[in-house]
Amino acid sequence: MPDQQNNSKVVYQSTVTAVGELVSDFRDQGLLVWFGENAPSELHEFSILHKVAHQERAPMPGDVIEINSDRFTVLAAGSVSSDNLLNLGHLDLKANGLTEAELPGDVNVEVCELPMVKVGDTLKVIAASN
Amino acid sequence: MGEYKAVTIAAGKGGWGGPLTILPTDKKKYVYSVTGGGIHPVAQRIADMTGGVPFDGFKSSVPFDEIAVAVIDCGGTARVGVYPMKKVLTVDIHATSPAGPLAQFITKELFVSGVKPDDVKEA
Repeated sequence: MPDQQNNSKVVYQSTVTAVGELVSDFRDQGLLVWFGENAPSELHEFSILHKVAHQERAPMPGDVIEINSDRFTVLAAGSVSSDNLLNLGHLDLKANGLTEAELPGDVNVEVCELPMVKVGDTLKVIAASN
Repeated sequence: MGEYKAVTIAAGKGGWGGPLTILPTDKKKYVYSVTGGGIHPVAQRIADMTGGVPFDGFKSSVPFDEIAVAVIDCGGTARVGVYPMKKVLTVDIHATSPAGPLAQFITKELFVSGVKPDDVKEA
């Protein structure tokens, strides 16, 4: 999809620096929890830690979240999800298919198997075209 | 030896859980703000009223058993459960109810939400 790639705008990009032991358990429940590297250590075991390369804004409905080559369309973004991501690097990514955020920190995508994330992987938020 | 006073913290509008009574001691004196952007006003008020020592969880850390109370601004999934899981009294600024993978650890005895500075009162 070269055209889409050219027209799309990356509004957030980061690189994974650590993956906690419980991340795969959370993934099995359709949830990936992300935090910036300065998150307190008690949060590390269930979190993906990442380092921001570029941040303009947090995901909004219609945007695409890309984890390596896997793409997910954002269905809903809770009221505090933007502050969480921009201030703390914190993202609660839920593959629950809901078009309204159940919790204010949620960012929802379609029901799907979320990817296994490893150190060095890239997270991107791509703005909906136009 | 510090001098400490107790406060009670009731759930705010739309909040859940509590009320909690917070009384720091010399061994358990920290008011832990896990909110980003410095010490949250609710944490500052708890520290001011109790004599506890505020600190920013995104800048430094202390052992769990020295934390009098954790103040979080969690929208509901992860931080909301991790401190109750460690049996740390937890105050959430947001009006969340137990949810997420750690919901089983969130009880009225350990957790109160929807809290604003005015919800912190002398015991």
